Amino acid sequence: MIKVTDISKVYNAGRPNEFTAVNGVSLTVNLGAVTVLKGPSGSGKTTLLGILGCMVRPTSGRILLSDREITSLPERFLTEIRRETFGFIFQQFNLIKGLTALENVMAPAYPTGEKYAALRTRALETLALFNLAHKAAAKIEWLSGGEAQRVAIARALINNPAIIIADEPTAHLDTKLSHEFMAIIRQLKEDGKTILIASHDPIVYDSELMTSRIEMRDGGVIHAGSQA
Amino acid sequence: MPHTIEKQRHIIDFTLASLLRRKGKNGALFIVYTLIVFILASVMFFTHALKQEASLVLKEAPEIIVQRMLQGRYTPIPEEYAAKIREIRGVTAVRARVWGYYYDPVFLANYTIMAPETFPHEPGSIAIGSGISRMRRAYEGDTISFTGADGKARNFTIAAVLPEESQLVSADLILMAEADYREFSGLPAGLASDLTLKVRNPKEFATIAEKIVRLLPDTRPIIRNEILRTYDAIFSWRGGLLIIIMSAAVLAFVIFAWDKASGLSAEEKKEIGILKAVGWETSDILFMKFWEGMAISLTSFLTGTILAYGHVFFTSASLFVPVLKGWSVLYPEFRLTPFINPGHIATLFFLTVVPYTITTIIPSWRAATIDPDSVLRS
Repeated sequence: MIKVTDISKVYNAGRPNEFTAVNGVSLTVNLGAVTVLKGPSGSGKTTLLGILGCMVRPTSGRILLSDREITSLPERFLTEIRRETFGFIFQQFNLIKGLTALENVMAPAYPTGEKYAALRTRALETLALFNLAHKAAAKIEWLSGGEAQRVAIARALINNPAIIIADEPTAHLDTKLSHEFMAIIRQLKEDGKTILIASHDPIVYDSELMTSRIEMRDGGVIHAGSQA
Repeated sequence: MPHTIEKQRHIIDFTLASLLRRKGKNGALFIVYTLIVFILASVMFFTHALKQEASLVLKEAPEIIVQRMLQGRYTPIPEEYAAKIREIRGVTAVRARVWGYYYDPVFLANYTIMAPETFPHEPGSIAIGSGISRMRRAYEGDTISFTGADGKARNFTIAAVLPEESQLVSADLILMAEADYREFSGLPAGLASDLTLKVRNPKEFATIAEKIVRLLPDTRPIIRNEILRTYDAIFSWRGGLLIIIMSAAVLAFVIFAWDKASGLSAEEKKEIGILKAVGWETSDILFMKFWEGMAISLTSFLTGTILAYGHVFFTSASLFVPVLKGWSVLYPEFRLTPFINPGHIATLFFLTVVPYTITTIIPSWRAATIDPDSVLRS
């Protein structure tokens, strides 16, 4: 369970370009839930996602991860939590160009110091889950949009995280690929993963997979609803 | 511990894969870096090998040479002085040497003519250094003509050309019988060019030199170690001069390296952001940058050093010869004996690898502290 209480994030505090991205948000994400943050651009979805994923440090408020207060943990511990608990799927996929699909998938596990052979086998197996085993040695720039998306998902899963965070995952996908992405989310949900998605794509937020929908505007939550 | 080693192996793997992606930038760094190491290493190897060569040659030289001084200038010494010096305790042998210089106005070159203790060839014949042989195109069996002190030309038959190995000292050398030389140079009987001494105990060199001056105030004893020191100073001076000139190049390189290594492109910054977002710590990024610097600097260092080794010991430092060997019409043509001093390699390492690593790791620190959420906001 992730619980945030009265969370705010102010960028460039005290400067003329001060900007409040998230303002006094409190919410709880239950384990095994599929939660979507919806709202227009600039509503604070991505920042809230970053805060929930220990990537952005809030200006004020508290974060509890499985009842453990993590708000003021030093960067090193936050990185460890991020690596072990969260898997990230970014809007632009954010794969590293020039490297192969396999190297990209393995990258998040490098700091764990796992044996190379074991890590490689696991990465190949993860790619195989998404029918990408034959593309393991292909450079990222040679992949199609759908393939790159699946490599990004494989990378998010390499450390076997309990929580998957996806920021506008379908923004660069056509309708068919967006549906394919949702099929993967269904599979992950069945595997017991907790999933947090920021999206303003109806294919995502209207999906019956969503157990919780949080609507945001101007840095605040304007509506939070759950369905069993 | 195995976990840490495995982690570093992963980071090194990733770094090498990353380096290969930026061939242009890293290739330029590698070439400039290698060039700098090559030049510095060449200067070091060359000056050191020359010094080594000179000291090996001088090992055979007499321990003390006694010259006679008149009006503050060097002048032939009476042979009877030898008997007086022999009486000093500690001196085991004294020999009167007969030798001098000869200026060849046709080839504008200076030769050293020497009458060895035993000259195995017939009177009227000479042995010449390979430098003279090469320049005058004179070989064994040929006749060569020199003008004597009385202005008359004399013909000598070349009985032998001195072996190539001893070129550093013998390139300009002519050997002839003592009687021939006295007749040719006008050096009267009873006078020698100088005296050479053999002394059993090296600790006594200075005392014996003092005694000689006291006994024969018009003489000047020269101890071998002083000659070695002079050679050392000359070669070190030339080497040092080149290194001073080179230090400007090293400085330019450091600026270049700083620019190349610290000027992270937007793509590189984004990559660091991605790595941090997916769970790399700041220290992991710094390790990556450290390994990147090490990979470039060590490869360049090794390549530059190996190239310099080849340049100095296989091509006889063809690029530096005119500056470092001195100025003469008769350049000795010889191959230096390969000799590597671990101290020099270490100096070179600290002159090149360490400044590079420092200049690149500091700006990398800034890049490594990029917030992971920069990826989210891009």
